[in-house]
Amino acid sequence: MAEHTLEIALAVGVLTPLFSFWALVFFGPKLGKPAAGWFGVVFGMGVPLACATYVLFGWLGAMEAGESAALTANAWRGTWAVLGDVPITIGVKLDSLTVAMYFMVTFIAFWIFFFSVGYMQGHSDEVAGQRKYWRFFAYLSLFGFSMLGLVVSSNLVFLFIFWELVGLCSYLLIGFYFDKPVPQHAQMKAFITNRVGDFGFLIGLMLVYFHLGTTDLDEAAAVFAQQAAAGTGIFASHFTMFGWSLATIMGVGLFCGAMGKSAQFPLHVWLPDAMAGPTPVSALIHAATMVAAGVYLVARVFRLMTPDALMFVSLIGCLTLTLMALIAVVQTDIKKCLAYSTLSQLGYMIFGLGSGAWIAALFHLITHAFFKAMMFLGSGQVIEGCHHEQDMRKMGGLWKKMPVTCITFLVGVLAIAGTGIPGTQIGLGGFFSKDEILAVSYARAFEWDDASKFEESGHGEGHGGEHADVSPPTKRVMLASDPVQHGDDHAQPTHAVLEAESHGAVGAASIFAYTPKLPKWMFYLALFTAYITPFYMMRAWWLTFMGKPRDDHVYEHAHESPMMYIPLAVLAVGTVFASYSLFRPLIADASIVGSAAPLVMAMAGDSHSHAPAIHVAHDFLKVGVGGAFLVGFLLAIAIYRNGLGLGEKLKRAFGPIHTLLDNKYYIDELYDLVFVKGFVLIANIARFVDTWIVDLLVNLFAAAAERFAAFCGLILDTHGVDGIVNGVAKSSRDFGHVVRLPQTGRVRHYVLAATGVATIVFLCVLWASREASDVALAAVSASLGN
Amino acid sequence: MTIGLTHYLVVAAVMFVTGLFTMMTKRNAIGILIGVELVLNAATVNFVAFDRYLGPDRLDGQITAIFVIVLAAAEAALAVGICINVYKNLSTVDVDRANSLRG
Amino acid sequence: MNDMMHISARSFMRLVAAVGCVLLFSSRETIASDASGVTTAVAPGGLLEAGLFYFVALAAVVSSLGVCLSRDIVRMAVWLFGALGSVAVMYFLLAANFLGAIQLIVYAGGTLILLVFGVMLTSKSPWVKFQCPKIEMLLAGVICSALLGCLCIVLTEATWAGSMEVVPGASVKVIGQTLLTKYVVPFEVAGVLLMIVMVGAAHLARQED
Repeated sequence: MAEHTLEIALAVGVLTPLFSFWALVFFGPKLGKPAAGWFGVVFGMGVPLACATYVLFGWLGAMEAGESAALTANAWRGTWAVLGDVPITIGVKLDSLTVAMYFMVTFIAFWIFFFSVGYMQGHSDEVAGQRKYWRFFAYLSLFGFSMLGLVVSSNLVFLFIFWELVGLCSYLLIGFYFDKPVPQHAQMKAFITNRVGDFGFLIGLMLVYFHLGTTDLDEAAAVFAQQAAAGTGIFASHFTMFGWSLATIMGVGLFCGAMGKSAQFPLHVWLPDAMAGPTPVSALIHAATMVAAGVYLVARVFRLMTPDALMFVSLIGCLTLTLMALIAVVQTDIKKCLAYSTLSQLGYMIFGLGSGAWIAALFHLITHAFFKAMMFLGSGQVIEGCHHEQDMRKMGGLWKKMPVTCITFLVGVLAIAGTGIPGTQIGLGGFFSKDEILAVSYARAFEWDDASKFEESGHGEGHGGEHADVSPPTKRVMLASDPVQHGDDHAQPTHAVLEAESHGAVGAASIFAYTPKLPKWMFYLALFTAYITPFYMMRAWWLTFMGKPRDDHVYEHAHESPMMYIPLAVLAVGTVFASYSLFRPLIADASIVGSAAPLVMAMAGDSHSHAPAIHVAHDFLKVGVGGAFLVGFLLAIAIYRNGLGLGEKLKRAFGPIHTLLDNKYYIDELYDLVFVKGFVLIANIARFVDTWIVDLLVNLFAAAAERFAAFCGLILDTHGVDGIVNGVAKSSRDFGHVVRLPQTGRVRHYVLAATGVATIVFLCVLWASREASDVALAAVSASLGN
Repeated sequence: MTIGLTHYLVVAAVMFVTGLFTMMTKRNAIGILIGVELVLNAATVNFVAFDRYLGPDRLDGQITAIFVIVLAAAEAALAVGICINVYKNLSTVDVDRANSLRG
Repeated sequence: MNDMMHISARSFMRLVAAVGCVLLFSSRETIASDASGVTTAVAPGGLLEAGLFYFVALAAVVSSLGVCLSRDIVRMAVWLFGALGSVAVMYFLLAANFLGAIQLIVYAGGTLILLVFGVMLTSKSPWVKFQCPKIEMLLAGVICSALLGCLCIVLTEATWAGSMEVVPGASVKVIGQTLLTKYVVPFEVAGVLLMIVMVGAAHLARQED
């Protein structure tokens, strides 16, 4: 393979959607309604998909030949700019994760573009009274460019640039119908919430820039590890906040960006509202790709994270996955239900990353992208077919009218629930990815705990046995970087970090130091949610497709069209087959090459193994996690088998809880109370202060000044200043009169004056030179005398 | 008795001064103009006399005198035109009446 | 006073004309003989030439005084004619024959006629007089006398650098050559100026619509 071929293919794939965007901007209106869409499909995503396929096979070939590590190391990069002493490199991050993400994004996006052509056919493309069909595909193309750019960026700065670009696209697409109030507010909410997160990202980026002196991902990781080992740079800082060292703050800052984009707990509020956008947008941006960018970012900066930062990450992920799943249970809007499910799943990914389940989290990202995109498209199909009805309570029995949608949706439900046969390799995407996350978190919660107990006891027998000769404080670190059999130097950074932190060399004790049971609780919550997920997904599916039709009008209208179900079918097939066999090894490979995912490897043994070790190792988990989907499914079917009756009863029975969930824990209200009302309150206080204190003082001063002025005016102004002014005026006038006198306007007077002055000057000169005159006169008299 | 440069210059000076006096004492615009002509003539005499006595080979004085005559003719033409305009507007050539610009 | 000036002007003119003609013709021979003499470096003037000069000088001074002292504008013009003629004769005496001719043609024949026309066009009655206040007259007299005195002192006391030699007067040919070589730029500029003046004068004097 020629040098840099893959990079070129990736770059072509990134830039074609940009071309498509500009082409649609300039020529979209001329192309008209279906043509602009097809143009977007072909150039916006078709070409990138071709590139992605080429890269995927090229990469797999390289992996076979054992050349992939060299390709990663020699990936093209150049200097884009130099900020101070720090060169900002532009380049392609070429590793298995990039390839996997790139393929996933292009594949899903292509079918969503395809779906959009059909979807927009049935939807109004009128915005503010103008037909803006082309605009939709222009924005989608721009999103394609931004998202792919984000995936291939090798530099945090470029990552950030594309990060903001996808945010912009999200903003534009949520508010596609910007002349309506709901999308308008939703898009602003999304944008503003993301700004909060991006502010953290920016802080993290600045810390990276300032302390690590490079923004290149690999170099930054290397420098970070070096500094951690040497206790220099960012580790030399004694700045702390909440007991976090500066290094931890950097990691948390970077994670804040992910919190915004991946809609994690405190910043999750924008994602459900973002469903106001067109359904393909929800599927592409707000389910499959953009919201996963946060997870991707955390994975990329994983090597810059200290254990405390990772703890924070997993805590946020855990809160998100639990709280959002509970909300999803009570949702009646099909898209909102899916949105909360997305939030919950994103929480799983973040939780997994925080727990060290690097491979599992990213694997879950990719499987989730497939089935969630598919389900969103399915919901789009349903909404489209049901005359823009989104309320599940009015649906039911749709399986007769839209069988393909029904089946594909079911595949998605099964996948997200983690359906599979425990102990075997038969199962759908979520069965492997989510369970692996749980397994790793279990390992961390319990094994780490055991390891630290062991460490305290000071016994020589380590977990791995072969590390018996190392000193106790580094024990848990060695545990983390256990799989030395991979012979990988890149495992060292995290090793060093953990070591530095565990020595307590930097920073004070973290707030997490006082909560040793926290990982355990987080694991229990995640496990509990694993039972919730199948329940609400099955509930959504059952209410929509099964049972008796509850609204005749909706039922009569229901239909499905091939343009829209072809993508569904393709994605369903992808969900079933492609994920585990293709993406799991790829990501595992990335983990080995790019970064250490120590806990994963520690627990899962051989990362190439097709069976997560946890299923073998822990019978409790095998049944507890693996069988969760059955419990959830059966419960859902039992409740909703005969329509809404039992559900309503339960709702009444759990009144307060239902109200709490239905109102999303009142978080929007809380934000309104704290930020909006709080702001108004502060404004009111400020106004009060302004009116009653500042104004009073000002008025007082003004009154005093007025009195003083009146006094001064009488005495000084009238007699003093006015006198001076008038005096000056009067004297000027008088002087003018005097000066005016010689100006008679008569020529002869001027001549007279000029001649007179000239004569006087003449006389003066003569007078001055009278000595010379005397001499001359003497000469004249002498000559006369002669 | 030799006639020298000074003789001519003294005559020119007398003409010059009488020209000035004319300008100073006449209220008639044409009279002033006549005074100006006298002054110019005095100057011309000076030029020619200098030419004759100081630089006989160079002709500079004579040439200058020719230019002065040309300018005097031009000036006279314009001045008479102006006088006629003044007369048209004020029905007189009394310069004391032409004082619109007086402050 | 006025009448006296009037009479004196007329008789003075006659006198000047008679004496001038005689002297001019006599001096012409002197000048001619000088010019054709063995040496060109002849000291200026004999008695005749001196007499002629004094006569012309007297004529010029008297004419000038006549100009400034007469109150009648027409008489002023006549006295001016006398002054200009005297100056023309002086040019001849200074061996500037061409300039003398120009003086007579342009001034006496052109400018003076122009002035007389101006007088005629601008006065309802050509004899109307505008009197100047006596005090101004007195002041002007004082100033002019002072200036004249100063000038005379300076002129008589000055020492001139140049030679007092007299060379034959330059011919018209030489003047023409000089004008069109060394002074060609001022010459052309003067031409342009005259044209502008012509246009300007025509514009100034045109009939108002």
